[in-house]
Amino acid sequence: MRSLLERIEQWGHWIVFLLLEVASLVLLFRFSAYQASVWFTQANALVGQVLEWESGIIAYAHLGELNQQLTETNLELQQEVDVLRHQLAVLEHDSSYTERLLARQIADCRRIPAQVINNSVRDRDNLITINRGTLDGVRNEMGVLCGTGIVGIVCQTGDHYAIVLPVLNSNSSISCRLKSTEYFGYLKWNGGSPLRAFIDDIPRHAKVRKGELVETSGYSSVFPAGIFVGRVKRVLNSDDGLSYKLEIQLSTDFARLRDVVVIEGGLNTLNTVETPKTLK
Amino acid sequence: MLLIFLKRLLQMLGLMALQVLVCNHIHLFGYATPMLYVLFLAYLPLNANRIGSLLWAFVLGLSVDIFSNTFGAAAAALTFAAFVQWPLLQAWAPKESVEDMVPTYQTMGVWNHIRYLAVLATVHHLVFYLLESFSYFHWESLLISVGSSLLLSLVLMLTIDSLRHGK
Repeated sequence: MRSLLERIEQWGHWIVFLLLEVASLVLLFRFSAYQASVWFTQANALVGQVLEWESGIIAYAHLGELNQQLTETNLELQQEVDVLRHQLAVLEHDSSYTERLLARQIADCRRIPAQVINNSVRDRDNLITINRGTLDGVRNEMGVLCGTGIVGIVCQTGDHYAIVLPVLNSNSSISCRLKSTEYFGYLKWNGGSPLRAFIDDIPRHAKVRKGELVETSGYSSVFPAGIFVGRVKRVLNSDDGLSYKLEIQLSTDFARLRDVVVIEGGLNTLNTVETPKTLK
Repeated sequence: MLLIFLKRLLQMLGLMALQVLVCNHIHLFGYATPMLYVLFLAYLPLNANRIGSLLWAFVLGLSVDIFSNTFGAAAAALTFAAFVQWPLLQAWAPKESVEDMVPTYQTMGVWNHIRYLAVLATVHHLVFYLLESFSYFHWESLLISVGSSLLLSLVLMLTIDSLRHGK
């Protein structure tokens, strides 16, 4: 008995070692089958809990990145909402007589809707940037209109953007006429209020009344004839006193211009287009 | 006695957490996964109970197994390493060391200690990968796995060790 105990003491670690090895090997081979192994694997509830904590901590560490993504998505959606809301407003808008008329006039032209992305009215030579370019079919010397009348002429184009020379630029010169009598002249602007421009060279014998309608003459390929420009506000003498100078109340409010239409192909009767020679 | 037990338990839980939460996610070059729980054996003192260390090793290996779905391979490997650890420490401990000496750089000497850790880790990694590859046997990938994991484990173990005990 005593020798047995001694032997156990001497060989105990061997016995334990072998037992443990056998146990682990049994586990290794026996529990390789998936179903039996659930308890000894990650499917165990305790293990699952610990792993869940771990993934929670990792998720917390990624919150910053997630936040940034959310902000970006938010911005994107916000922008989309703005665009959609604007479109809705345009669709629900009860169009005025001028707008309907305009729509009819340019019905047979090729129209490229665009939006103003940069604009100014305060300088002497204002320019407008629109978000359509050569890839959308915009070319130099195409006319630009908005719902209430003329805007200007495309003067420079990029792939996706174009620069428009609006009426509110000292280089601008658009052929216009009085609607009733068809006397014509060039619409000029030389700074000052963005609501009024001038037409020079109306002969002395023309009977011009206040409030008379002014429209494009159609003497160029840029704009078709008859597009609304504004009304005569005052009749002044020209600088040399030989003709009248008309002060025109412009129909387009350039200060809140947003949606414009680029049109191609007015009447090609007279190709004397008054275009800007140089820009800047 | 209880104090020692609690200390062991803490060591075990700490190493297990380190292994399960950090090391198991490392797959350097697709092969090398460090197994730092081998350090547990390295901290057993010279006069540790052999049977006790075997049991500790088994429990630690089994808990690592459960968390990493290796079905007893780590338990077997670590138990085997624990079995080797005792004679190894007896042989390489300096003659004049105290009875409950804990193997560190200071107590064993740098070279001896590195050698001690290296052998323990090698035994464990060899057994572990051999057992694991029973289901999928491929010499080359086995050797690469053992080699790269062993290297990575050793580097990390030595780093941790030198941090713990300083110079």
